[in-house]
Amino acid sequence: MLISWNWLNEFLTLPSDVTLQEVAEKLTITGCEVESIERPCDFLTGVITAKIARLDKHPARESLFVAELDLGVGDSRVVCVTAAPNLNVGDIVPYAPPGAVIIHNLALGSREFDGILSQGMMLSAEEIGLPDVADEFGILRLPESTEPGLDFKSLFGLDDAILEISITPNRGDLLSVLGLAREIHALFPNSELKNIEIEDIHNSVAWPVNFKGITLEHPDCLSFALGLASDIRIGPSPLKARILLSLMGMRPISNIVDVSNLTMLLTGQPSHAYDLELLPEKEITVRLAMDKEKIITLDGKTHSLTTEDLVITSGGQPVGIAGVMGGENTEIKDNTRIVALECANFASPRISRTSRKLGIISEAAYRYSRSVDPMKVIQSLKYALKLFSDWGCAKVVYGHYEFSESTRPGNLEVPLNSKTMKRILLWDDMVEAGHILSRLGIEKVREENGFWVFSVPTSRPDITIEEDLVEEVGRIRGYELVEPRIPDSLHERGKLDPISETQGHMRNIFLSRGYTEVVTYSFIAPSFSKDYLLSKNDIRSYPVKLSNPLSLELSCMRTMMLPGVISAVQGTIRSGWRQAVRIFEMGRVFLRLEPGSNQLQEIERLTGIVYGGSDQRSPYGKWEMEDFFSVKGDIVAIAQNRGVELTFKQGSEPFGHAGQSADIYSEEKKVGYLIRLKPGIEQNMDFGGPVYVFELDLDTFMATRLSTFKDIPAYPAVYRDISLLSEKSRLAEEVIREIRSIAGDLLWEIRIFDIYEGKNIPEGQRSLGFSLAYRSEDRTLTDIEVEKVHSKVRSGLEALGYKLR
Amino acid sequence: MKDILENIQSISEEFDLSLTNVSNTSEIMDLKVRFLGKKGKVTSLLRLLGSLPAEKRPAAGNAVNELRNTIESIIQEKTLALKNDELRQMELQDLIDVTLPAKSRPSGGFHPVVEATNDVLKIMTGLGFTVVLGPEIEEDYYNFEALNIPPHHPARDMQDTFYFDDGRVLRTHTSPVEVRSMLKYGAPIRIICPGRVYRKDSDPTHSPMFHQLEGLLIDEDISIADLKGCLDVLLDSFFNKELKKRYRASYFPFTEPSLELDIECIACSGSDPGCRICRGSGWLEICGLGMTHPNVLRSGNIDPEKYNGFAWGLGLDRLAMLKYGLNDLRTLFEGNVPYLLSGREA
Ligand SMILES: [Zn+2]
Repeated sequence: MLISWNWLNEFLTLPSDVTLQEVAEKLTITGCEVESIERPCDFLTGVITAKIARLDKHPARESLFVAELDLGVGDSRVVCVTAAPNLNVGDIVPYAPPGAVIIHNLALGSREFDGILSQGMMLSAEEIGLPDVADEFGILRLPESTEPGLDFKSLFGLDDAILEISITPNRGDLLSVLGLAREIHALFPNSELKNIEIEDIHNSVAWPVNFKGITLEHPDCLSFALGLASDIRIGPSPLKARILLSLMGMRPISNIVDVSNLTMLLTGQPSHAYDLELLPEKEITVRLAMDKEKIITLDGKTHSLTTEDLVITSGGQPVGIAGVMGGENTEIKDNTRIVALECANFASPRISRTSRKLGIISEAAYRYSRSVDPMKVIQSLKYALKLFSDWGCAKVVYGHYEFSESTRPGNLEVPLNSKTMKRILLWDDMVEAGHILSRLGIEKVREENGFWVFSVPTSRPDITIEEDLVEEVGRIRGYELVEPRIPDSLHERGKLDPISETQGHMRNIFLSRGYTEVVTYSFIAPSFSKDYLLSKNDIRSYPVKLSNPLSLELSCMRTMMLPGVISAVQGTIRSGWRQAVRIFEMGRVFLRLEPGSNQLQEIERLTGIVYGGSDQRSPYGKWEMEDFFSVKGDIVAIAQNRGVELTFKQGSEPFGHAGQSADIYSEEKKVGYLIRLKPGIEQNMDFGGPVYVFELDLDTFMATRLSTFKDIPAYPAVYRDISLLSEKSRLAEEVIREIRSIAGDLLWEIRIFDIYEGKNIPEGQRSLGFSLAYRSEDRTLTDIEVEKVHSKVRSGLEALGYKLR
Repeated sequence: MKDILENIQSISEEFDLSLTNVSNTSEIMDLKVRFLGKKGKVTSLLRLLGSLPAEKRPAAGNAVNELRNTIESIIQEKTLALKNDELRQMELQDLIDVTLPAKSRPSGGFHPVVEATNDVLKIMTGLGFTVVLGPEIEEDYYNFEALNIPPHHPARDMQDTFYFDDGRVLRTHTSPVEVRSMLKYGAPIRIICPGRVYRKDSDPTHSPMFHQLEGLLIDEDISIADLKGCLDVLLDSFFNKELKKRYRASYFPFTEPSLELDIECIACSGSDPGCRICRGSGWLEICGLGMTHPNVLRSGNIDPEKYNGFAWGLGLDRLAMLKYGLNDLRTLFEGNVPYLLSGREA
């Protein structure tokens, strides 16, 4: 919120050596962050007040006027030409002589208008930097009582500094000049707080209408006061008020509205003006709305209410949504004669709920949501009525209020024990604590069982428990005075959880294998299940959806990691990257237990994607090209590093290439997949070549297995090769399994060294070359032994129908 | 005798001269034959010895033998040198250009936020905190109510929340883990929780998804001093530098008292009024913290009369951005490889 420094100082005397900068720093460190200090009219220099002594039409230019200005220095006059049509002789205006500076840092000079030399210029509201304070088109006219020749800027408060302060939601009391004055007083022990006293006016005069009274039907309206002003003359507020409002970020509207706003800025109490003659009955009842009860608010919108909302009614009809916005039916208009001014207090939670539900964050609702001091009702009403009177916009002001309350506000007593304070702040000077609290208006009332009991004013509903008092003392005393220490409590070893531990290890392996780590959003577009051809019975096609997403594209919680890394690769390509892309991500997918269920699993996954790039040329030819098996190599490496054995089976993912997909198993359980994307999907997504993706459950790799080392084999291995022809459809792993089962224990290792199909090989077959290592753990094998087992392998294979080569 | 000595001298000179003309192993073989062969010049000298008087033979014999040994060893040396030279020439035929690019995948690049998270986990587990994790899709109760934020509390405005139809939310902070852990482990408790959090917000300094690190320590007699001590260690270790810090009063419904921690601007240390990082203030907001509110302890089934403690919520993305000098938070989650590789250690 924006706060006028000048206005603050009307209620506060600070020691003379305290600067605005110090106040701002102190406010910031004690909880009210001062975001900026602006001087909105800082540029304005040399502007003075001037009286129009003579005004003539320009002899040559029809649209111009020539004014002679009295600058308050004897009989001397200056000539000033203007096009403004709103001036009369005797008007007082802001005048910028040559050398003065106005908005946009424009320095003025003299200028000739068809033979008449204009010295400087008279200023409009825009030219002083506050366009909103204009009440008519043309030059800004100052109050008649203004003396000519005075410094305009200081006279009208344009030298003000405006603090932009962000107020935390617990401190509704600081959304007002008086509240902030109190807070600053607490921060500077040698400052003095001045309270405003408003005396009642015409206390005995009765209302000119027979008002039947105020009925509060619900305790969430704590109190309700109505004041009355008749013979209303609607018009602009005095210039100083308009300037003050404008500086504090509110647009001046009319005297009636401005009174309301100024009162709110000063005391924090919202108010609302009704046209008394438009009230359906001369009574007010505050009650809960009926279900679907309609009201048209001041902004012209129709709202349908529920029994949760509090309404102000008259004669049974709603005339306002309590604490949120008034109704159109009783709105002040140009012909309004009598105003009933409401100052009331409503319970925060209810106003907050209605305001959020209807989406109306009015100044009033904002303040009520953060709580308004119930003790401010009458004081604020008096202040507002006094302004009406002072401004002369209501001929009569009545000091007779209609008032009703459902709860008499009272101070809360909160005890404070020096032990609690010592525990938290390591400091227990109760006397000093008492001084600090006293400056905040929180007075010690007695001592009781070792506690000091404090009386907390109604303006501070945020203080209800001992810790709240400790906070007040702690923040104003300054947390910098609490010396840091390492807690005794930390005397045990800390541990990583298994997930973070596993992720930390695995990411290092992927980084070293040339993968780049990414973090992508957990939300994806709903089109993913179509894009990736997921079937209706695939649980992944039933994502949980946000009810208020940022956009449709970010509306589903991911059920698979694939879409995120795909778009990462696409983004990488779009940014001009032509080489190979290797990416991995670790994160969660969110899966329903079954399609209709709201029960969710958050599953940790690891995903990787590899795309060869649009420019795969290399001085080393094909050596560096990525393919299914290079990516499989990465998966196998990670599994080896984690001591996990994975098996790859012909895959079934719907988005995978029918011939180049594997499902990955660990101990008979599917734990992921490695696929080349379906070529159709690759094409749809504008990839110029194959894209390989894998996704694995992190769970698979989480068991920490300690590596076990074996002795170097004591006896040498003997190597023999076998080449055979096999059906292409026969998996290499099956052939190996057969060789192993024939060879038995002496076969120590088997490795494929050659795969060949084509020339000299029958259609539908391929040639496989295996290197077999025979070894025994207890002796050196003799040639005869090796020959015997190897020929058993050869004949066994032949018996199985393989043709040996 | 004089003849022989003269002969030795002239053969030696002839050999030296011939040697300078030798440029390969076959020429040195020829040279060897010419001087040491059966009909070689040195061999012929030996034959001449027979014609000398007996008393002069030994001296002359020594001189000739010396010549032969010298020539022999020179030839051996030269032969070896020439052979090495020839091998080298052969190797040089397989000369490669060592400046050609390396043949294997270049190293990948880490994600700054994950790296920062791991760094912080390492520091804080070292200090004695144990890592726990919690769900990202969270009950309204744990995200708000258990943390002393009743429905319609204006504090809910501080965090724009993503909702699901069943009333659950995407956690807006890692704080729900506090109550979950208190219920699970009881007091005393010393935990940290890293993870993704979500708020409905998107501009260069806000992303709808970001990362926090929650910290919670509950025991008997815990002070703000303890909280400051732990955070000082965390930040100074993370930035590997003793930073100026400012503990500022603030407000969170789940802590009382509540504070915020600012650290000195990493970019300018407060020396640049036009600094883009701190906007001239010299301070960077980095962490919300405070003493756990008694109501939160009650939610966690911990007796606030016996125990108290502290909690913090640290912005990990902010930390990463400061450490690595990044400007746009949202770019971090686009997965752009050139961007992420630009941070790879060279
Ligand atoms: Zn800076």
